[in-house]
Amino acid sequence: MPADGSDPPAKEPVRQLVVWRPDDVLVQHDVPGLGDLRDDTKHGRLLGKSYLRAQLGLSLMCLTIALAVTASFPVIAAVAPAVTRVTVGGLPLTLIVLGFAFYPVLLLIGWFYNRQARQLEARFTELVDPPRRPPDA
Amino acid sequence: MPDASVGAIAFITLVTIMVGARGIRVARTPDDFMVAARQVQPALNAAAISGEYLSAASFLGIAGLVVAQGVGALWYSVGYTAGYLVLLLLVAAPLRRFGAYTIPDFAAGRLGSRGLRQTATALVLVIGWFYLLPQMKGAGITLQWITGTPYWVGVATLGVVVSCNIAMGGMKGITFVQCFQYWTKLCAIGIPALVLLIATGHHPARNLAPDHAPVFASATTVSLPQATDFTLTRPAQVTVAGQLDGHQYRNQRARLCACRHEAAAGTRIGFSAGAPVPVSLAMAPSSAQSWDSPFLTAGTNGAHPLAATYGVIIATFFGAIGLPHILVRFYTNPDGEAARRTTLIVVLLLSTFYLFPAVLAVLARLHAPQLYLSSDSDNVVLALPSLLLPGLPGELLAALVAAGAFAAFLSTSSGLLVSVAGALSHDLMHRGVTSFRWCAIAAGAVATAAALLIGRFSVALLVGWAFAIAASSFCPLMVLGIWWRRLTRFGAAAGIVVGGISCLAAILATMLGAADSGWSAVLLGQPAIWTVPLAFTVMVVVSLLTQRAVPANAGQVMLRMHLPEALSRQA
Repeated sequence: MPADGSDPPAKEPVRQLVVWRPDDVLVQHDVPGLGDLRDDTKHGRLLGKSYLRAQLGLSLMCLTIALAVTASFPVIAAVAPAVTRVTVGGLPLTLIVLGFAFYPVLLLIGWFYNRQARQLEARFTELVDPPRRPPDA
Repeated sequence: MPDASVGAIAFITLVTIMVGARGIRVARTPDDFMVAARQVQPALNAAAISGEYLSAASFLGIAGLVVAQGVGALWYSVGYTAGYLVLLLLVAAPLRRFGAYTIPDFAAGRLGSRGLRQTATALVLVIGWFYLLPQMKGAGITLQWITGTPYWVGVATLGVVVSCNIAMGGMKGITFVQCFQYWTKLCAIGIPALVLLIATGHHPARNLAPDHAPVFASATTVSLPQATDFTLTRPAQVTVAGQLDGHQYRNQRARLCACRHEAAAGTRIGFSAGAPVPVSLAMAPSSAQSWDSPFLTAGTNGAHPLAATYGVIIATFFGAIGLPHILVRFYTNPDGEAARRTTLIVVLLLSTFYLFPAVLAVLARLHAPQLYLSSDSDNVVLALPSLLLPGLPGELLAALVAAGAFAAFLSTSSGLLVSVAGALSHDLMHRGVTSFRWCAIAAGAVATAAALLIGRFSVALLVGWAFAIAASSFCPLMVLGIWWRRLTRFGAAAGIVVGGISCLAAILATMLGAADSGWSAVLLGQPAIWTVPLAFTVMVVVSLLTQRAVPANAGQVMLRMHLPEALSRQA
């Protein structure tokens, strides 16, 4: 963990809301944001919910793009049959699209998703488990 | 040709057994057998997943369907690949972070219900067995094609080899085997595709032009091993040896009208260059669709092509999530991040593989259109090398293809059998290595027996149906279980049962020939278009009605699935 990370001001309220409870002494490395998540406090639930929502939003966005690119093709072909008559270099457009063109798009979406999901997790980790924290609460 | 191919098949089978035998020494505990002790790195795991996933349908079925029915059949390969993207987006990392062995484990752990575990186990068996059938059929027709042995010999060979291998080695062995199988399959389809592409050179792409009835590029003699009905689009001057339209010919010339003809088994018909290619009635592209149509009407007799195509798209895009033999592999990733990387590599490996069935299908369309006449489209990939490249090179390529095809049957059925036997021994009987071994042998025997009954269905169609069942049952369970806190055990069970049973019933009705035209053919032949939404709806509605059954720890379980490991260890 980088020792020189400085806290953005937005995190301060999160850390002040935690209530010290006797059983917390069992956990040596207690961290405010994490404690909230673990104890299922009102604040922790909100935090968890917003994190899940961000993850879901990212997944659904990527899924929508993937479906819009691929699954729209039959509708396009049905609405405008002229599309299926096009040939490129002697090969039917349909063959090029279904046989080759979709795969790079699927890969690109997957790569983009992995990168974004990793960043999302890193940002959340930094929020609830900041690198710089007081030695005791 | 038979000698080289038989040798290649024997070689691939032996290597599979030997690589798997490594597992005997390594596998010691049930945990080793089930999930390879969770120590598999992304690149190896991705190759193993792809090896397991690329089945007879991918290797033989897709190219055959494209030749027979048109480019629309490529939706299967697009869907099989996109299924992994959907899996990556919705399931991969949370599933690994949840940390369970099987789908029934997931269901029980997430929703805390023993009854649900048994329901899910029953469905693992249904999907697993359904998916095993086309693999067995593939083995049957491959051996039949190469050596002329009866269909059941190939089916039984595969059943015995796979059951014994798994009973001995378990999954630790299988991970190495599957990885090896992926590269075998890629070479076995890629090398022939590229060699044939180069060997046949650049021809005018006449047979690919839209709305153009195919013609023979050169003088060709077509042998019909079985009695075949076919039609011609134009009259043609041919040379016939054998029985045609009730007349006996001895290498005599005949003029065939542009109408329907009946050839007896063993007839040979010689066509000159430029003659129209006969269209087999058994394999006719449906309802006046041209070959380059983007619609897929396999299993629905050409009714409502747009709806039928979306049936396949929904089944394949969302079916991969619910395949029991694939999900079990995600537990072998070290953590959620590795599970994501693994899945992305899988998409890459699958994309690479699926370029080649399309190439082979185009080559067959261009240069060997007589393959339309073969009564079983699943033979196209096996037949193509020796048709296009006579002599030793063609024989060697054919042997390579045969080896790859067998690699496909071996790997997919191994993975499926691990899941089925695992579900049987883990969830229904007392656990343990001995129980797992006996379950593997029993499950293999059941699949072998059932495979003898389904010879007339295309393997791509059969695998597509297994996907439809998975998409209508386990897909909603996984997606809602991972993303929706309010899912209850009653909702999950109702959704699985209603979706799974309605999909299975529709498919069985189609197999029995209940509906062969109009909307009923589409809704029964490609049921995913309505059973998937139905399963989701039932699951959500019943869950909302039984909110008191939401597990008390649902929120915490959800968090554990989605938080990075470093956090959830502390939280």
